Amino acid sequence: MGKLPTQTYFDIAANKVDAELLRQRLKLVNLEAKRHIKERHFHAEEFFKSKGLDIGKIREHSAKLIGTGALTGALLFNLPTELKLLPPSYEILQKFATAGSSTENSKEILVDTLSSSLPGRVRPLSRTEEKLLEQVFQNVIGVPARATLESEHLNTTYGIIGIEQHLRRFPGDRLQDHGGNKVIREGMAPGLSAWGYFAQSKQALTKELEDTEKWYAVVQTLYLSDWDRRQPYLKNWYKYRKVLIVNTENGNAVIASIADSGPAAWTGKHYGGSPEVMQSLGGSAYKKGPVIIFFVDDPENEVPLGPVEYNNLDIAMLRN
Amino acid sequence: MSRIFYDHLIIFEEVDREIKNVTDLAEEREELWQLIDEIIHHRVLASILDILPREHHEEFLLSFHESPYSDTHIVYLNKMIKGDIEELLRNEIKSIEAEILHEIRGKGKRGQ
Repeated sequence: MGKLPTQTYFDIAANKVDAELLRQRLKLVNLEAKRHIKERHFHAEEFFKSKGLDIGKIREHSAKLIGTGALTGALLFNLPTELKLLPPSYEILQKFATAGSSTENSKEILVDTLSSSLPGRVRPLSRTEEKLLEQVFQNVIGVPARATLESEHLNTTYGIIGIEQHLRRFPGDRLQDHGGNKVIREGMAPGLSAWGYFAQSKQALTKELEDTEKWYAVVQTLYLSDWDRRQPYLKNWYKYRKVLIVNTENGNAVIASIADSGPAAWTGKHYGGSPEVMQSLGGSAYKKGPVIIFFVDDPENEVPLGPVEYNNLDIAMLRN
Repeated sequence: MSRIFYDHLIIFEEVDREIKNVTDLAEEREELWQLIDEIIHHRVLASILDILPREHHEEFLLSFHESPYSDTHIVYLNKMIKGDIEELLRNEIKSIEAEILHEIRGKGKRGQ
């Protein structure tokens, strides 16, 4: 005879490594790795010590360097083979104007534009590249999107998005209440989002909060170079901040709301999307792919969350 | 923005799933992510220095410190080791992943 549901909780607890225990173990692994460098490559440890840098914190150091380079407009990443001559924005907009206003035409030209302007491998974009894309998105997709908004900039604006699970919206939330079969098969995330529950009870969950979870995005706030220094301001600023996500392979675009932090840098991904976001970006089998993510400049909260309909684009003005 | 030139070689999806199951709290999750990140940087740097001839260490360290994000390190290292640094790092990264998974799934679970 099987166990009662109340008894299985003990099994789950017994099979789960305690977070504190794991933290201690990983610290030991880390100490061992540090010891290895010290013993075999003492000069390397001395080198980083002289620079006031712990090699384990190289990501933060990189973030600071890239941030400074971006501010001064320096070209930081490109190998000669990656350099692409950006077309002037009026040339791109003219293409859209002459192609007509059909969704397919617009998407096709957008994808062509992105593939001819972006590097093959995802990487942080230069300010020049971002400025060009802002104009394209504003005039073609019709969304006021900004790489930098109110002086804030994401960890990267061109990266890989991966599918996430649903988030628990309130205590006692159930997976089957999150939508149809296609989207609930991804399951529910075991932990809470970086901002906790969306509401404290089912009754307190408004339509707006329901949509926020449905169309949520995950961004790497933890790798922002000033994340620790500028709290609680940054945490509040990023909470439910709207972003435009554009699939660079097919032109599909979604407005989403930032509702969790991650993914970890070592997952090979830079952002996450809810099952609904991912379905809109690439269909039901879409799990991962390259995207551009910009903030939506929407002070009046007028831009709705969800898929961006190209048919609604007002590109008539471009023809004038 | 943060980027290290070997980021594209590291895809620990299984570790990610396990970490998400270990804790409900975002702060704890992020702390574990950071610890794993630190382990990776120490181990990868050690692997590079193990294989890179000693006379090039200073040059590489200086350049790595100046631009940890730059893809040019791959080209430089391939030339200096006369081999495929990405392939070598992939092997090291696989073994790091296996060790971390062992720490997560291995002995010492609650009550043991």
